[in-house]
Amino acid sequence: MKASPDWLTDERETAALAAMLSPHSPSSLEALAAESRTITLRRFGRTMTLYAPLYLSNHCSSGCIYCGFASDRKTLRHRLEPDETSRELTAMKKLGISDVLLLTGERTVAADFDYLRRSVEIAAKTMQRVSVEAFPMSVNEYRALADCGCTGITIYQETYNRERYEALHRWGPKKDFIDRLETPARALEGGIKNVGLGVLLGLSDPVEDALSLYRHLRHLGRTWWRAGMSLSFPRMRPQTGGYEPPFAVDDHLLARMIFAFRIALPDTELVLSTRESAAYRDGMSSLGITRMSIESRTTVGGYHDTEKKETGQFEIFDDRTAKEFCAALRKQNIEPVFKNWEPAYNGPSSEQNRATTHPLATQPCH
Amino acid sequence: MDLLQLGSHSFSSRLILGTGKFSSAAVMLQAVRASGAQLVTVALRRFNREQAEDDLFGPLSAIEGVTLMPNTSGASTAAEAVRAAHIARELSGSPFIKVEIHPNPQHLMPDPIETFEAARILAKEGFLVMPYITADPVLAKRLEEVGCAAVMPLGSAIGSGQGLASAAMIELIIRESSIPVIVDAGLRSPSEAAHAMEMGCGAVLVNSAVAVAGNPPEMAEAFAEAVAAGRKAFRAGLMQKSGSAIATSPLTAFLGVKA
Repeated sequence: MKASPDWLTDERETAALAAMLSPHSPSSLEALAAESRTITLRRFGRTMTLYAPLYLSNHCSSGCIYCGFASDRKTLRHRLEPDETSRELTAMKKLGISDVLLLTGERTVAADFDYLRRSVEIAAKTMQRVSVEAFPMSVNEYRALADCGCTGITIYQETYNRERYEALHRWGPKKDFIDRLETPARALEGGIKNVGLGVLLGLSDPVEDALSLYRHLRHLGRTWWRAGMSLSFPRMRPQTGGYEPPFAVDDHLLARMIFAFRIALPDTELVLSTRESAAYRDGMSSLGITRMSIESRTTVGGYHDTEKKETGQFEIFDDRTAKEFCAALRKQNIEPVFKNWEPAYNGPSSEQNRATTHPLATQPCH
Repeated sequence: MDLLQLGSHSFSSRLILGTGKFSSAAVMLQAVRASGAQLVTVALRRFNREQAEDDLFGPLSAIEGVTLMPNTSGASTAAEAVRAAHIARELSGSPFIKVEIHPNPQHLMPDPIETFEAARILAKEGFLVMPYITADPVLAKRLEEVGCAAVMPLGSAIGSGQGLASAAMIELIIRESSIPVIVDAGLRSPSEAAHAMEMGCGAVLVNSAVAVAGNPPEMAEAFAEAVAAGRKAFRAGLMQKSGSAIATSPLTAFLGVKA
């Protein structure tokens, strides 16, 4: 079994963040919120970048114990055919969406790399920005996706606690902890411009996971210094399959995490999805979060045919329409931004994406 | 008349406004009007031809007396910036292009190598190139040599509000430059803008400081006044600074006196 890398447990890297996340932290939540708000406003202004997810397929080959789409669930399996994908995208465009995240389960015959690449091609014809949250790929596969107009990859480690990870991922390709850990670097090597990292809060000790997440981001940033990086804070929601998260994260701890990450990483995009309630998202939109999903569906498709009754991967909490959501943002003097990318910048990043590493530089600099 | 000359274009206002980060397009437009700016910059990635409500270009181009300067923010290489410049010219008709290539999205510091390459290509193609750079006097001269209309050194990092952290280098750039030097990025207060103008900058570009102010139009106006005052002071000629008092009776009056 391949050993975990040293950077994953480097406590020097995370001392300041750990102090802010500690339950004995001298900083009150209110003080962290104020600092986080000031930094967010200065760096990102009064704007919120918006995107929406499109589930292409719920076929899956992995046995993640917590997931509604795990391969042993009796869910109806389905994938969007090219004409259906186009129809879904057209329906999304009508809602104003021009930044889309395409999702699949783990690699299957029904939804393999060629299927995903074709879907990216279709999406890039109409959407201004196309990102993918699917299965781990090879460097060459990532390069092929970048060539087709994919600019971002979202890949959550779910938990950085290796023991928990191995217990939670019962079978399938996702069972390989190290392979998953190395996936964002492969995406960047393939010329993908942005990677989204995250942990699924509820699966393991949340503070320990948050610190590892931070180390992962810093580790990647040192090598891939041109990479755009974003962090998400998904909390477990009631899932198809009914898994009860053993490490539930309450509103206060999640807020502390968001503020602490904003203070530690003033320039990093922080994402909050419709897993959270309308009130929580409205509250967080001026305090640290800079990117949000809207009008989400967690069923396959669901934008064109809104009457579909199949079960999604998990339950949406903030189910407001794009219009309602934007009105709430504007009420807080925040401008919703639908297009914040230009396809002229698409294509794999240059060969120099990677920093030239000095042969002696084996230790991170502090 | 004291005009800012950029290529064959001249402007009486020496305040250039950025258009991102505002709470709404309406507030942004009010701020542009209040600032009296005749040149404003807008990111190509915020052009949205499909959705008027999300588009910054349309409403800006409707303001009379304002010239648009598209920028390439989001590009990470010279090739991407050149591609963006072509699209921006096609869409806006503006001869100006602000070359912004900041490949590290964490701190948005401009890449001098890619910026130089893009500026060289675009100037040759006839664009009025306005490159956003770190305050590097050698790079500034190199950009002047390839035909840029101005150079735009940063006061400090974008959105940092750290003011003229690179003042000493900007002074060197101004001393050597034959094209306007425009401080771009980092300014927090009107007094900093006045200081930049007193140093001899041709103009200043402000965005965050106005966009996130409590009252953006009023702050835009305050910056306009500060820029005008700083320019007036520069033209009037500031008295020299001295580290010690200057005696009214010269200390060396005895020299050459016959005994």
